[in-house]
This record gives sequence, structure tokens and C-alpha cells, in this order.
Amino acid sequence: MEAALASGAARAEAVESPRERVARWTAGYRAASGRPDEFLGPDGAPRGAWPRLLDHLGALTEPEILARFVSAERHIRDAGISFRISGDQREHPWPLGCLPLVVEGAEWRDLSAGIIQRAELMEAILADAYGEGRLVADGLLPAAIMAGTPEFLHPLHGVAPPGGHYLKLYAADLGRGPDGRWQVLADRTQAPSGLGWALENRMVLARTFPDFFQDLHVERLPAFFQAFREGLALGAERSDPRICLLTSGPYSSTYVEQAALARYLGLMLVEGDDLVMRDGALHVRTVSGLKRADALWRRIDADYLDPLELNPASRLGVPGVIEALRNGSLVMANMPGSGLVESAALAPYLDGIARRLLGEPLRLGHPRAWWCGDLEGLAHAQANLDSLILRPAATPQRGAGRDAMLAPQALAAERARVVAALRDRPFDYVAQEAAPLSTMPGWERGEDGGLVLVPRPFVVRVFAARTPSGWQVMPGGFCRVSEREDVDPIEMRLGIRSADLWVLSENPVEAPLIGSHAAPRVRRVGGHLPSRAADGLFWLGRYLERTEAVIRLVLAHLRSVGDAVGTDISGALDTPAALALRAILYEWGAIGATDLPTARLAQEALTGRERSGSARAHIVSARRNAAALRARLSGETWRVLADLIESVSLDTERTFTESQLAGRAERALSQLAALSGLTHENMSRAEGWHFVELGRRVERAINICTFALSFANDEATPGCLGVMLSLCDSQISYGRRYMQGAALDPVRDMVLLDPYNPRSIAFQAEAIARHLDDLPALSADGIPEPHRRIASRILAELRSGEAADFDAVRLTALETDLERLADGIAVRYFPAGPNALRPEKLTGLA
Amino acid sequence: MIYTLRHRTTYRYGKPVRFARCSLRLKPQDGEGQSVLASAVTIDPSPTTAVMRRDYFGIEAVAITLDTPHTTFSVEALSTVRVERRTPPEAEAGQSWERVRDAVVASRDLGGRAPVHFLFPSGRVPLVPDVTEYARASFSPGRSAYGAAHDLMLRIGADFRFDAKATNVRTPLAESFALRAGVCQDFAHVMIAGLRGMGLPAAYVSGYLRTVPPPGRPRLRGADASHAWVAVWCGEGWLGLDPTNGVPVRDDHIVVARGRDYGDVAPVDGIVSGSGKQRLKVEVDVIPETETQDFSQPGLALVG
Repeated sequence: MEAALASGAARAEAVESPRERVARWTAGYRAASGRPDEFLGPDGAPRGAWPRLLDHLGALTEPEILARFVSAERHIRDAGISFRISGDQREHPWPLGCLPLVVEGAEWRDLSAGIIQRAELMEAILADAYGEGRLVADGLLPAAIMAGTPEFLHPLHGVAPPGGHYLKLYAADLGRGPDGRWQVLADRTQAPSGLGWALENRMVLARTFPDFFQDLHVERLPAFFQAFREGLALGAERSDPRICLLTSGPYSSTYVEQAALARYLGLMLVEGDDLVMRDGALHVRTVSGLKRADALWRRIDADYLDPLELNPASRLGVPGVIEALRNGSLVMANMPGSGLVESAALAPYLDGIARRLLGEPLRLGHPRAWWCGDLEGLAHAQANLDSLILRPAATPQRGAGRDAMLAPQALAAERARVVAALRDRPFDYVAQEAAPLSTMPGWERGEDGGLVLVPRPFVVRVFAARTPSGWQVMPGGFCRVSEREDVDPIEMRLGIRSADLWVLSENPVEAPLIGSHAAPRVRRVGGHLPSRAADGLFWLGRYLERTEAVIRLVLAHLRSVGDAVGTDISGALDTPAALALRAILYEWGAIGATDLPTARLAQEALTGRERSGSARAHIVSARRNAAALRARLSGETWRVLADLIESVSLDTERTFTESQLAGRAERALSQLAALSGLTHENMSRAEGWHFVELGRRVERAINICTFALSFANDEATPGCLGVMLSLCDSQISYGRRYMQGAALDPVRDMVLLDPYNPRSIAFQAEAIARHLDDLPALSADGIPEPHRRIASRILAELRSGEAADFDAVRLTALETDLERLADGIAVRYFPAGPNALRPEKLTGLA
Repeated sequence: MIYTLRHRTTYRYGKPVRFARCSLRLKPQDGEGQSVLASAVTIDPSPTTAVMRRDYFGIEAVAITLDTPHTTFSVEALSTVRVERRTPPEAEAGQSWERVRDAVVASRDLGGRAPVHFLFPSGRVPLVPDVTEYARASFSPGRSAYGAAHDLMLRIGADFRFDAKATNVRTPLAESFALRAGVCQDFAHVMIAGLRGMGLPAAYVSGYLRTVPPPGRPRLRGADASHAWVAVWCGEGWLGLDPTNGVPVRDDHIVVARGRDYGDVAPVDGIVSGSGKQRLKVEVDVIPETETQDFSQPGLALVG
């Protein structure tokens, strides 16, 4: 991890005792004045659990420590743990720092009690706001704060949360206040993120520092996750409820963690399009028909949840889903509208509300704040503009990013704007005391090249889950640590590292490090496949196959021209085979013109960024489909796809020789073979696998038809027949079977009708029929579904046909039938087939 | 004045729609100077489910689902309403706008009818600094809230051009403001943004307008479909102002619903499952009782 450190040469060290090593690491460590620090107390002495951790680390030499960093980094890469910065398409490897935040058991218990009290307080405020409204009526909370928050969702007013609770997961961002005590910098109740990152961090460190967990008595996480999962199901109508995790999709900045959580907790990962309301209940569209969804953990903001009752512009939600909450058929974590209590304007009132609703003062504080809709608050803000941060009251406590925490900012630059804002609508603002974030140690390379520890600003997010036995705080957390002293870790981005949180118990901890201790129910398939995932897998198969076809066309063209080199190049370019190859590439959109020089043509067909039909364009499409299937594909698949893209990404400014291009094309073919091997050897034979295979088989059959129409028609030259065999990778089998050169009927039989040749249409048709047999039927009346009838017809045609009969007319008919089959599969299994049931908004001023 | 109202909305789809889920807000408001004498809604095809619900703001909405495939969907609302509103106050009467604003901010009422809900930006009415600056000219210190709002209404009526082609139902507020043009919906949204920008609660009102011009007076615009205007909170109650026509609301205006913006009160709103094109036709008739007695009477304007 600390990449800069790991990549540097390990320092040659003299024999140094562990004590000396720790002393050297910490010799220059100074907490900045006015900033509480985790490692050093106000008296300058190390505090809490830090000496225990450092003594342990000191037992390792620096090369050993660096080796562990490298191993962690490798694991992160191999597992494909990555994150995306909002608004950025690229994914970055997850930046895990190797020094956890350590907290002693006693301090943690105290902190946990404060977290649980806060979660209970937030729950009570929500129940009041969406119910009786006593807090406002009794003057404990201004009406204008509640009304001014977009998260006060009117359609949810008076809707009792099914299962009885608004919050199932509560998170708080913590830091130390100026007095050195923990305080809450932000409450997270909408759809807290970070639980998955905490889990991933723990998994990486458990592999990298396994001995530390045992020796330091680090509290384990699995019991918490188990209880959280049970909490999600609380209140569901059915006893074995189907729990879905609703994601906004692969372009969400936290999609990777959502996919990881779904996998770890055994939840169905769904997008809005996967869900539909029928008969008052929420259902998932699966390839086996509509299946009831009993519980939903939403990772999208409530506003986007229901375009019918909330934000009409949303494309992420499910029309009508609020109805399922009204009639109690769906439990949701957290209830829509829970984001209300994230409002920055609540802070000044929380202590009073805690005394009223819970009968006790607030245990955990927060930075002091003043609502400017209150005359005294406004006066205070106006008098102290220079030492306060002004925040919009209506928005949650966050800055630019979705989960950002607003950092102290100088107001001077915007002073005029602020003064004007406070004049017209002061109630839109909250003033908050500006205090720098507290610090924790991080590694850095010292002047002599050795490791040293330095203080770094950080924020730690902790989580509490409502479980069958009440609130439970996860004995861990997710830290964001800045790599620079003067930059606050507002949100995950470059220059910010994550860190694990270790709670060090007084006694040895006897619990599994990673896996759950409850015995899981044995199952062989992962439940019903959502239609959208089936769609993605099918197209993944098709795109990969189409990529292969383009590459084979390019190779055939390079070879057919290359074979003739030395005789007459211009003549070679005009052979019927070469002309036909270029025609297909042109028709497929792989090249922009048919008269390009051979090398240029090959380069464009492989790489062409403006060409929608280039090999690269198809792989990129394949990867886009794969991105949405992250939870279903192995890390290895992901890596080979990345390599494949690299193979066909040729610098467009450079020119390549024909043999260089052929080399690239061949390498890409090997990588495609590796991918197909991975699907074959590593993918469970559940529904998902059938769809990848169906996509591949259908696409291959259609491509062979296209090729046969050009290279195995009644006028085909021997050259064309040779190309036909090479496009179907069948030259070797052909040569072994027939002594004489390529002849029409034998070639046709081999590529069309031979059920033993994995590159023939007949082979594809047999495989398609078997896959369809293994997929669920919608009705039990025994009548084959329409797409099954088409598949049977194709099979009969191929089984009963003779090579000589397959002229252009019959080939065209076969091709049409195969296209129909692809459409038929889409209609039956996918959400966006020709009978798409995409919701459309009624529009117009009615 | 007693009115008979007919509001017919017809959607025609290019391809059959297999499932639809809609909310209908077509019943005129009962109360505040109006009483609904009769009201009925006819839906074709007949809905699979229909539930009447009163939303948080007190607007009555009928939620329906349709699961019979259809290519035409029509809703006809017929109602009879008596409108007897109090005479609007003198333009400069009532509490100062600052006092009204401070009282709303300090209020302890979060109920659906509380003016505080209408103080903040809403889905279709963001706060636009330029609009606030435009409104500020009407808000001299100490002026009555109603007087300031009335003045703003007159200025919008004078400065903005009624142009049905300039905007559509989705045009953002900032754009219609920049154009200084639009239809009743745009006029209302601009005025609401201005009032809220200055800290006064303002609501969007949907309804109908009687369209027979009194002798010698210009014909009122905006009656070809349903109409929209503004209600401003003046400390003791809501007062209606119609910026499209530059007049306070009296007995020529029939209120259907009052919400934060068009989104809260859209007469027909919903989602259909289908991929074809949709065509919309709206016919509205506002027939004063005195005129229904004699259809041959000259000057009768049936708008549809």
C-alpha cells in the first residue's frame, strides 16, 4: 500500500532492537498545537492502545513491514477492490493505509453507548416528525428547519415503518473535539456507505497481519454482520424473506463496496429496473418470472426511490414502491425520509430533545452550531463570521461529495455573498464553530530513508445496526486519513487513504476472523437470476464472440494478402476472398473505407476508436456489461478483460507492420480463449452461465451464417473456402479429414452441419437447445415457449439438411431464424426486449 | 357564482400500454370561498384499482392502476362549484412583509396547511438569485406583504409576454425568466420564486378561469386549458394573485388545488409501461350557471 514507500528500496538497517525501532519511528512525532492526537496525549505521552500496537510492529524489521504492504497491495489488486471518484469514469485501486486506528475496549464501550444513544435519538426524532409532531408543537425544534429540509418527505408522513423502525443502520463520522473527547462530525441516516469498505479493509489486513489480530485481541466483525443481516429481515411478512440491496448501478462511486456487501451478506444486488410493483407488493424480475422482494436495503437516496410519489425525474427507482410501505408488505432500510435527521440545523436542538425524549443528556457531543433562523443564532453568526463556518441548513452535513464532510473554509472570499444571504433568508443557514480535525499516526519515509510516523488528519465512521437484540455497534470502523497535514479527508479521493479501526479487547477474542460463525444453510445455486443480469451476461457472451469474429477477419485478411506477397500485391488485394473480407469489416463498422492499405485496415479494425465495430469497441462494450455484473464475475475474468483491451489498444499515431499487427491479433485471440476457459472452468453451472453461453453461441451461429454467405456460396473459389475454414478455426480438422484441398460440400458440411465441430452452426444449435432446456419455463402447460419453437426449428433444419442444399436462399433463411431466436430470448428473459415495459412518464400540461 | 366544469384529458398511445399507474387531482377545492356541489370522474378504460387519498397538503388525489392493455386513456371530470370569495383587501393593507416572514419562521406549526412548507425551494421552483433581485424592487421596507406581492404581480404581468410557444411544461424557471415569456405556469413559478426569495411563503394554485369577457374589457388569457396562479401568505390567510392577467383572484377563478409548485397539483400524473409515443389532448369547459340556461345567448364562449 503506501505505494511510494513500498516501491523504494528497503533501507539497509543495522541491527536494531524492537524498542529502538519504535523509538526511531516516533522520535520526531509532534501533534500540531490545537489538534488532539490519537497517539500522543496532551501531556506528550503515548496513550491508550498505541504502545501495544507499536511494540508489535517494532518486532518486524522494515523490510518485513514493507513486504506486508506489498502483499496487501497485491491482494487489493487481485480482488479488484477499487473505488471511483464522483464524476470520474476510471476506477482507482483501493488506498488502504497499513496503520489501523486502535481503541481500547473500555474507551470503545463508552463510545458505543454514545453511538447507540444517538441512534435511538435519531429514531425518536423521525418517529415524531412523521407522526405526532410534538417536538415542533412544543417548541423544541423549529418548524422551519423541518420544512426546509428536502428530506422531509411529505408522502411518508403518517406512514408507519413496516417492522416498526425508521433506522436499521446508523453511522456517525467521528473526530476528537478541542477538549480531546470524541464528538460527532456528521450523522448518517439516509443510506450510509462505508460498511463494505470496512469489511474489505479488514479482509486485507487479516491476510496481511494475521498474527496481530490474535496477539492484540482485536475484536472481530462477523457477528456484527450476521446480526445486521438478521436486522434487515426484521418485520418482513415471510419467514425466509428475500432481501435485496438496491444500487444505483456500476457508475456509483461506491458500487464495488455494494457488490462486496451483497456477496458477503448473501443479498440480491438489484437496480431499479429489476424491481416492479405488482398487486401492491414489490417484486424482482427474474428469468423465472416475478419473485417477491420482502426487504430492501436501499443505497440510493430516498428522493430517487419512487418517480411517482417522489422525484419524478428519477430513473433509478421503482414507480409506486412507497405504496408497499403504506400497506406494510415491504420492510426498508432505512425508511425513506430518514435522511431528515442528517440536517446540519438540528445540532443546536439535539441535547434538549434528548432530555425530553430519552430523559437524559446527550452523551456524545458535536461541534457547536447556531441556526440563523433564530434571532440569537443570527446575531451570534453575524458577530463571529470570521471564526465560524456557514453551512446550508437544508442540506445534510456534507460538502461537495455525496458523503463528504464539509471542511472548515475561510469565509473572507465570499463575505459579501454571505452577508447578503443572511439578510434575505437567514433561516437557510447554520453557523458552526470551526475546529481542525484531530490526527492519527501515518507512515512516511524520513530524511534518512527509514520509516517514520507523522500525524495525519482523519475522520472515522462507525456503524450501528438494529438487530433482533437491539442496537449493536460494529467493533470496527472505516477511517479516512489524509496524506497531508493541511488537507482534510472530506471524501475518498486521491491523496486520501482509508484505514481500519481495531478495538483491542482486554481478553483474548475467540471468534472467526472473517467468516461467519453461524452455520450457513447449504445451497448450490444463488437464487433466481434477475432479468437484467441475464441480459448483461447474454450480451457479454455476444460481445466477446463478436470481438473474436472481428479479430479472425483481420487475421484472415492479413494472411490472404500476406500469402500472396512476392507475387503481386495489388492482385492479392483484389482476390474475391480479400474483397469479401473487407466488405464484411466495412459492413460491421470495423473500418471506415474498404480501400485502406492492409496494415492500416488491420490497425483500424482492431483499435479504431471512432469505429463502433472495431475489436476494441466490442471489448469495451463487453467490459461495460461485465461492470454491472461485478458480483457475478471473478477477479480473474476482470483482469483478463483489462489485458484484452490493452492488446487491441494500439497507438493510432504509430504505424505497425503487418506481422506486428498479426502478433497482436493472435495475442488477443489467446486472451479470448482464456476468458472462455474461465467461464467454462470457473463459473457455476447456474442460470448465469447459461446466458453467457447462449450469447456466445447465438452470436457465433449468426457470424458463421454471414461468413458462409460470402465464402461458402455456390460461386466460392478455393481461396474463399480456405478463408471460411480459417474464420471457423477449422483448417486443421479439415486437413486431417480430407486429403485434397478445400471443396465446397465438405467445407459447408464442416462449418454448417457437423455437430462434432465446435465451430459449426449445428454445434451451436445443439448447445443452444440444451441451455434452453436447463432454463426455467414460465408456464406449466407443456406448450413450448415461442423462442423454444424457433430453436427447435433451427435444430431440425440443421439435423436434416445436406451440405449441397445450403445455398444463399437457405443460408439467409437460417440467418433470419437465428436473429429471431436472439430476439425471442430477449423477449422471454430480458427486461428491455421489444415488448419493453420501461416506465414512461405521462407528460403534458393536462 | 355557480359553475359547471368539464375537464377531459385524453392520451393516445402509439403502442398498447399494458400497465399504468396514475394520480388524478381533478376535484375542485372545498372551502375558502368555494363549495363543491357535485363532482364525478369518469375513467376509460375502467381502472383495476382506484383509491382516494388526501395528501399531506390536503389535496384529494385518486390513485388508479390499469392493467388492461389499451391505446387510449381518457379521464373526464365533471363538477359543479359555488364560488363566493371575499373581496380582496386594499392593495397596501395588512401586516408588513418582514413581520409576516419572521412569524412564519418562528411558527410551531408543521401541519400540512402550515405556510412554512411554502417558504422553501421546491422541485420546480428553485431559488434563482436573479429572480430574487427582480422581486426586491417591490419589497420596500415596511411595506405590507400583500402590497408587495400585488406590486410584483403587476410588474410580472407588464414585463412578461404571454407566449404559448416560448415554453413547454418542462421549461426550467430560470429559462422562462430570462425569456420574460411563457404561459400561466411560468408566470406563477417566477412569481413564487420571487416571493420565496424575499422570505414570503407562496403557493402554486391550479384551477380554471371564467373566460367570458365583460363588455369593454379585454378577454382574459390562459383559459384554453386549466389555469394556474399564485397564493401568497399574508399573515392571516392565503390571498390569490393571478400574474398572467394581473388581477387579484375573485369569483372568476375556480381553485382545484394549492401546492408548492405544479408538481404537487398536476391534474393527471403517472407512469405507463410502454415504449410508444403518446399524444395528449385536453378539453376544458367553464360554464357559469347564468349562461347554461340559454345556450343561444350571444357572447357565450365555450372553450374546449
